[in-house]
Amino acid sequence: MITPLAEEKRETLRSFLIDQLGRGNLDLPLLPVVANRVLLLSNDPDADASKLSALIQQDQALAGQILRIANSPAYSTRTPIVSLQQAVTWLGLTMLAGLAFSVSVQNGIFHTTGYEKEVRNLWRHALATGLFGKEIARRIRHNVENAFLCGLLHTIGKPAILHLLSQSPHQSAEPFSWTTVESLFEEFHVIAGSKLAAVWQLPDPVQETIRYYQDDQYHQGLSPTKGAMITCLAHHLASVMLGDSTHDEHTLLTLPIVQDLNFYPEDMAALLELRESVRASVECFLP
Amino acid sequence: MTSPAPYDLIVIGSGPAGQKAAIQGAKAGKQVALIEQTREVGGACVYQGTIPSKTLRESALQMVRFLQTTEVFEFRMRDDVKITNLMTRLDRVVRAHGKFMKDQLTRNGIDCLHGRAGFVSDHEVRIQKIDGTAALVTAPIILVATGSRPRIPDNIPIDHEHILDSDSILSLVYLPKSLTVLGGGVIASEYASIFALLGVQVTMVDTADRPLKFLDQELTDEFCEGFKKTGGHYRGGQKIDTVQWDGCSKVTTVLESGETLESEKVLVALGRVANLEHLHLQATGIHPTTRGLIPVNNHCQTPVPHIYAVGDVIGPPSLASCSMEQGRRAVCHALALDAGIAPEHIPLGIYTIPEMSSVGLSEQEATATYGGATVGRARFHEIARGQISGMTNGLLKMIADPKGELLLGIHIVGEGATELIHIGQMGLLHNMPIDRFIDNIFNFPTLAETYRVAALDIAKQRQR
Repeated sequence: MITPLAEEKRETLRSFLIDQLGRGNLDLPLLPVVANRVLLLSNDPDADASKLSALIQQDQALAGQILRIANSPAYSTRTPIVSLQQAVTWLGLTMLAGLAFSVSVQNGIFHTTGYEKEVRNLWRHALATGLFGKEIARRIRHNVENAFLCGLLHTIGKPAILHLLSQSPHQSAEPFSWTTVESLFEEFHVIAGSKLAAVWQLPDPVQETIRYYQDDQYHQGLSPTKGAMITCLAHHLASVMLGDSTHDEHTLLTLPIVQDLNFYPEDMAALLELRESVRASVECFLP
Repeated sequence: MTSPAPYDLIVIGSGPAGQKAAIQGAKAGKQVALIEQTREVGGACVYQGTIPSKTLRESALQMVRFLQTTEVFEFRMRDDVKITNLMTRLDRVVRAHGKFMKDQLTRNGIDCLHGRAGFVSDHEVRIQKIDGTAALVTAPIILVATGSRPRIPDNIPIDHEHILDSDSILSLVYLPKSLTVLGGGVIASEYASIFALLGVQVTMVDTADRPLKFLDQELTDEFCEGFKKTGGHYRGGQKIDTVQWDGCSKVTTVLESGETLESEKVLVALGRVANLEHLHLQATGIHPTTRGLIPVNNHCQTPVPHIYAVGDVIGPPSLASCSMEQGRRAVCHALALDAGIAPEHIPLGIYTIPEMSSVGLSEQEATATYGGATVGRARFHEIARGQISGMTNGLLKMIADPKGELLLGIHIVGEGATELIHIGQMGLLHNMPIDRFIDNIFNFPTLAETYRVAALDIAKQRQR
């Protein structure tokens, strides 16, 4: 519930965001060098484990996290993972590239003081969406790698808004209430994400997904990889799994996206059965 | 659930076989229900198989035509070429085809019902809808045309990401650098030749010593030569032990011989299985064969006489052309209508690069039946049109009786083979003497001239 005072604050912040997002020279953060190169490498047909591990080595924090994830129970092998190249080989190039990108971005430009827990939850949701997206794509025989990246980055606009708010002249010692921030996300995260994706030159299907992943928008997606449709359902599944959805397993079945993807109740049941493995992956990447 | 909605004919599956069956029933004045589990009509043929793969093939050929005009245009293939770009026409083609089919079904007053069909009894079918609700329909005649899907061998972990089947291969966004194709049949050969032409390093692996072994060897030799020229390799006489993605950048295929092959992606094309899993056939008393197919007689009638099955669910030849005719004829039989004379000579068309097509007896079959065969050959490079169009890699092989008088079979490899074959098919249907090809005039310059040249080749042998 937003109090009248908070409403007044929200309106001030809203005006600030409208002004910022309406500017041609929007002050959006630059993509960290490592994240940018990781993303480029993931789309490079010549990419291999040694190139990616060499790149990750340039960021010590990132390298440490990758090794931790590779050795976590959900991914661990019989033998411990001791090198980055071994970790890259074990986790997979696409998965690792996406995660390296996410971790790099999370630890860098989107590290917003006062909202650490909330930002972590945003990334958990994004990662769960990417992982569910992979499974949906597998079922409908669409591109799996693309679905992961689309899911991982579909709400990149939310941390972008936090970044903008951190530049706001209306900041006080107290962080803005999360309810206020969420209501601003609701209104602005798609436009902020779209602008950021364009500035960062993210792949076209990812840009399209950021624009159109929502229930009333996915019909506008034209990409043959169906990133917007896949991410729309993956987003709902992730929300149900993480307990931040108004839907439950039964009401999920009534969503138009479920009908449009032609998923029968048994198909949805099969997807929901994957919750534990998705949860385990999310936990080991973002505990 | 309310009482079942009554129909005269229920058709399960809206692929080529189901559509033609439904239309035949409607044209006979019957009330027809056509049940389809996907949102669109058309089946795998339109959305996963024939049409998408032929669209990709056409794009590959267009690219080659460009490459052949380097004296006029400066042309090189982009390094980051996307498969989706090569298939830009696909959406348009599929949408147009889907609309045409839907309009045709609507025009004929057919009720298209969306849902998964399963038998409740031999006369009743339950339709499970996406929202979880269900409806019942009943009819005195039921026809099953649920098609097939790629077979997943137990020892190959298909993940549709690195190890793909013939449905998921079309989900690739970028062309892989290398591709191992497991299988030597029609689908394997078609995709292997398309990807090789697009510059992918392709290796085909199969137990047979040559691909498409059911075809005339001269045709497959010509195909193999073309495949090799595009950088492709065929590894015959090999069994697959394991296939494993290394988790990073390549898939390793280990052969039983101990040899390993590495590639960026693997395509598994080791046959197809009939879609029976949602049908609850046990409710009808029909038992699938040991190969998982629905048993039928010559009229596509199952052991339960009022239930028919057509298309891929009854097994070979699994050609869309045959399936359509099976659907039409099955409904004619069920309604005691005259279906006309049963087709004798069914042409076989394979959309490899180059195309292959065949009708009538092979040289071996003719020898077995007639105690010998006279064979006439015409190579495309001997024909003016072949030279003009740059289609010099081709062969028409004409099979005649030992005296060289009666046409028994035609086998063609080369671009246009699947169209060109129909001249031979008409000749066979009318028991045409070989000399008729010599005495008549063909347009000049055309590839049809190959018929005359092959016939002359036979006549020359006759004179000796």
